[in-house]
This record gives sequence, structure tokens and C-alpha cells, in this order.
Amino acid sequence: MLKIGLIVNPISGMGGSVGLKGTDGDAYKKAVELGAKPVAPQRIESTLSLIKRNDIYLLVAPGSMGENYIKKLNFRYEVVGKIDENTSAEDVKRIARKMMERAIELLVFVGGDGTARDICNAIGTSIPVVAIPSGVKMFSSVFALSPYAAAEMINSYTDEFMEGEVLDIDEDAFRDNKLSARLYGYLKVPKTKLLLQRGKEPSATGKSETENKEEIAKYIVENMEKDTLYILGPGTTVKGITDKLNVEKTLLGVDSVYNKELVGEDLNEKGLIGSIKKYKKVKIVVTPIGGNGFIFGRGSKQITPNVLKLVGEGNIIIVSTAGKTSKLECLRVDTGDTEIDRMLRKSVKVITGYNEETVIEIK
Amino acid sequence: MMINLNMNENPYPPPENILKAAKRGFNNINRYSKLESSNSLKELIASYNNIPKERIILSPGSEFLLRETINIFSKDRKIIMINPTFFPALRHAVKSAKKIIKYKLPPPEFKLNQKMILGELYEPTLIIIDNPNNPTGKMLLDKSFVEKIVQNRNVLLLVDEAYYEFAKYTFIDLVEKYPNLAIARTMDKAFSLAGLRLGYFIAGEYFTRELSDFPKLLPTPTTFAAIEALKNHEYVSRNIKKIIEERKRVEDELKKLGIEVFPGEANFILIRCKTPNLAEKLIGKGIMIKDLSDDWLNGFYRISIGLPKENDTFLLEIGNIKTNYDPSIY
Repeated sequence: MLKIGLIVNPISGMGGSVGLKGTDGDAYKKAVELGAKPVAPQRIESTLSLIKRNDIYLLVAPGSMGENYIKKLNFRYEVVGKIDENTSAEDVKRIARKMMERAIELLVFVGGDGTARDICNAIGTSIPVVAIPSGVKMFSSVFALSPYAAAEMINSYTDEFMEGEVLDIDEDAFRDNKLSARLYGYLKVPKTKLLLQRGKEPSATGKSETENKEEIAKYIVENMEKDTLYILGPGTTVKGITDKLNVEKTLLGVDSVYNKELVGEDLNEKGLIGSIKKYKKVKIVVTPIGGNGFIFGRGSKQITPNVLKLVGEGNIIIVSTAGKTSKLECLRVDTGDTEIDRMLRKSVKVITGYNEETVIEIK
Repeated sequence: MMINLNMNENPYPPPENILKAAKRGFNNINRYSKLESSNSLKELIASYNNIPKERIILSPGSEFLLRETINIFSKDRKIIMINPTFFPALRHAVKSAKKIIKYKLPPPEFKLNQKMILGELYEPTLIIIDNPNNPTGKMLLDKSFVEKIVQNRNVLLLVDEAYYEFAKYTFIDLVEKYPNLAIARTMDKAFSLAGLRLGYFIAGEYFTRELSDFPKLLPTPTTFAAIEALKNHEYVSRNIKKIIEERKRVEDELKKLGIEVFPGEANFILIRCKTPNLAEKLIGKGIMIKDLSDDWLNGFYRISIGLPKENDTFLLEIGNIKTNYDPSIY
């Protein structure tokens, strides 16, 4: 018997049809006023109708957050938690935690980046998730390609998993056409080939992602120059470097290392500029965040155009696992500064292993 | 019976006389094949390519020679390869090379960044490039670029021309002039001999010197069949003409279905299709195509050209799959 939790964010995706970029905060009210119709119910109903296995026991959130869609179908289930008429992020988090206490093996949820962030907040990587996309933004790489793909993931569920990135943007800024996204964390997702949006893949060379990250870190550490400040961007591939150095890194933040010692932690733009001015030689190490290959502009908003200007394009080191790199058509930048973007757009070398580099275009 | 459109094989079997020659090869299979047969085969290959016999190295499939080249030359030089390429060779290079640089070919043009490659040749280097490229089918090299590379004697260039007979463009005429150039060929594809595995190098001196101890004898059935095929190779151009006509037809039909097609110069077609799990769905219909997401980008597939009837079935089934695809659910 497979014990699965099910949570639907019923308002996720409503902003899209009425031209809003998300339904976080007050935007939901505006979406309703503009006549937006729910999207999530159709997505979960499609998925559930395609599930073929009959060894499932569901713990579902109440009402519009799950129960309503399961009633007509032939699943064994029980309802977990309580909600008010207007659902909120708090409901998602509270119910996810409750389900985890009830020892679910897998959590299925419907939503967008905001929902993924709430789920990540509540359960981290303690249990795997199948994420059904219904949101407007969708920068995270945890989502199934479609309800069909989500059903396939449940039907062929095994014990092989990988970590997907949870990215979310500041919706208020996004609505003003300013894009600033950051990496919020990771969720554990089934390791499936073609079913994830912008999916991350293990390397085809027989090395695991973890081994590949370790050898990238070894290469970087061995080649670190003396008396040089290394600014380390977010993400697990970069974190491999600090693990190798035996220093603590904020996984989602930007830190800095000088002569193999940690000298800056969770730095913002001001902190970065301060340290760039203090140390003479500076290099930035980044990894593409999310499946679209963004190295600057999404996921690492602390590294601003001003920081990049000071460091210079010749001092940027890009690291990425071979598996992830082979899945990318190109790398991307969107710093918000067209001049900087233009400076960065060219073919670059990415370190994809020990003495292994891949030349790829930045667009 | 499965329709195999995943291995870039020739759908037309070789003529009867070649099959008979292969069968003759079974008469003495308790013995190794004879060096004289091997020499006859080399002479025929030399005459087919209009080059001296000494330039030829035989191999049971060109893949073994590719691997051996990587093993020998990667010890003290870096390797440059492209991605995508013939993936077994790339995987082997990643495992064996002291240092490797892979150049990604960006869609939709899949053009090689020649300038950047030339800028990399400041140290001993082995470059391996397939031309036309598999799986894009694109010609990546031209004579002027090749000469710029091999004028640098610190650099070895191996051009894999597995699909030469389809593209009809070669650098063989440069091998005599440049000892650091080698061309890989196969009789698996155009000559319809995939099951017998016959590959060969036409190699400059830097390569022949190092590969001089590569085993000289191939299986007897392979040797006999290849000799017969080279003596009477008119069937090759007849079949190639049919395959190229079919390639054009399949390309046009796929475009009509709204599928993104990347035209190429070999016996296969590269497509991009957003329908999830296309290859798996086609297996359900008895058709195998190559899903490139294992080694490369999601949504890209390589389709070998089959017999007209096989291509018809493929077009019908991919059309059905596309029609039934509902983006709101799938």
C-alpha cells in the first residue's frame, strides 16, 4: 500500500488568464474581481483519472484543497486537517506537516512556485513529492511536465529520487516587470526521465550527480588561486566546493572564501561590493539555477549588475554537472541591465567535471 | 515485428552475391582469417577511396578504432569533442581523457564555433568530430577550417565520416599531405553490412605509427563479404538514392504534421517534438526511434530512414499520437 498525501492550492494559476503574474498576496482578490476561473481542479482531476494503480491510500486536504476532487473517484481516502473558506499558504504548510506526521510516503500537490515554496518550507526533502503544475510563474524545476506526466510518475513510482530546485520570485516586483527570483530550497522528486519540466538528469557517463559535484569541487579547490576572494553563488553544485573546504555555506545565499577560509556569509549586494573593494583579486563562482540555465538574474539576485561590473566578465567561473549541462540548450542571463547582459552573452566554458569543460553559449 | 528506426541501419539488405560470400567465410571458422584476404580487402578499400593501401587500418567496426585512438592519444594531450556526437565515443573520452573540452552545438543551426576551437590549440590536442554529425546530420567542417587545424602539427584531427556515402563530402585527399589527420569510415551504413561490423581508418602517419599493432585480422565472413561488396558496389549508390528520396519525403510529411524537422545529410532525420514520451508511445506501436534525451536535450529524437512501408507506418503512428495529444492534460 502506498500512502500518499494530496494538497491542492485551489487558487494557483488563476492570475494567468487575467494577465496577473501570480496570486500571492492581494493579487488573488484582484484575479477574482477580473473574473478568473480556478485552474487547479481540472489539473488534479486529470491526474487522478489517469492513475492506474490500486494500492493507493490517500490522505487528502479538506474541501477545495483536495477532498472535493476525490469524492467522485474510487480511491480509499481520509481527510486531514481543517480549512476556512479562503485558503492560504498557512493551510498548505500546516496540512503538509500533519500529513508528514501521519507517515505519508509521497506528497502530491497542485500549485505553482509559491505552493512549492510552502511545501518546501513545511517538509523540506524529508519525503518525495510529485508536483502538478498549475501556477503562472513556474521557475522551479520540481514540477511534472503535465498532469499526465504526474500520473505516470505515480504509476511508475519507485525509490529513486533526485533533488529539484524551488525558485520563487517577488510577485510584486514581477508585476512591475522586474524579475528577481531566488532559490528557496530543494524538494525530493522521483527520478524520471522525461516527466519533469526542465528536468535535471543524472550524467550519462556513469557518474552520479553527487560524484560529479565532488569532482567539480575538487577541481575548483585544487585550482584556487592564492590571495583571491571567491564569491560563491547559491546551489548544491557550488556548495560542493565549501564542503570540500570543510567550511559552512548558506545553500541558498551568496558567501565568500579567501585563502580557503570563509570570510563572508549570506552576503547581499552591499556586502558583496564591500568585500570586492577590500580584496584586490576577486572571482565569482556560479551554477545555473533552475532548468532554463540562468546563471545571473534568477536564483542569485544578490549578484547584481554593479557586482558584476566590479568583478569583470573574465573572473566568472561557471560550474555545472555534466548531466545538467547536457540538458541545457544554452545558459541565460537576465540581470536587468542590458549592457551587462550584452557583455555576458557569448560562448563560455563551464566546468563540468575534473579537467572536463563544456563550451556553451550564454543567451 | 518491430520497425527499427533507431540505429541508423540501412533498411536494404546487401545483394545475394555478398550474402553468399559471407557464408563462404563460415567454411573454415576454426581458423583465423588469412592475412592475404586482409590485404586484398585493404587494396579494394584503397582503390575505392583512391589512396595508398598503407594509409588503411581495418577494425571490427570503426568504434573500436575510435576508442583505441582516444586511449592512446589522450594520455598526453587534451581532447576536444562536440556534443551531440556519436555518444559512445564521447562517453569513452570523458572516462579516459586527461582533459576534455566538449563544444555544444546550439539548436537550431548546430553550428561549430570554429574560432573558439582554433583558439584552444595552444597545447597538444586530439580533436574528434563527426562530419556529417550524428544526430544532427549537419556538415560541421569545411576544407579551410580542417587545414587551419592540421597545419598545427601539435594537433591531431580525427574526422568520423561514417555517413560519407550519403553526404558525399570527404577530407581524404588531405591525408597524404597532413600526417596528423585521420578519417574514420564504416561499411555498416551505406554498404548494408552493419551485422558484420567493418570499420576502417584512412590515417596519416602520426596515427598509423601508433596504431601499427592494432589487430590486422577481421572475422572471415566479414572480410569475404566486404571484398565482394567493394568489387560490386553499384548497389550502394542505388540504395543511397532511394534512402535520400525517402528522407526528403519523410521530412516533408513530418513538417505537414507540424513537427520541427532539422534537415541533415545522412540516413536519418532529427526532429523536436513536445509530445511527452514520444519514443515510448511509438514502441507501443511497434516502432523504435532514438530518444536523445538520455545523452542530450529533452524533446529531440533521431529517426533512421527505413523502407517506404516502414516509414509510412511511422508517419501514420506519429500522426495519430500528435492528433491525440491534448496539451491541457499531457
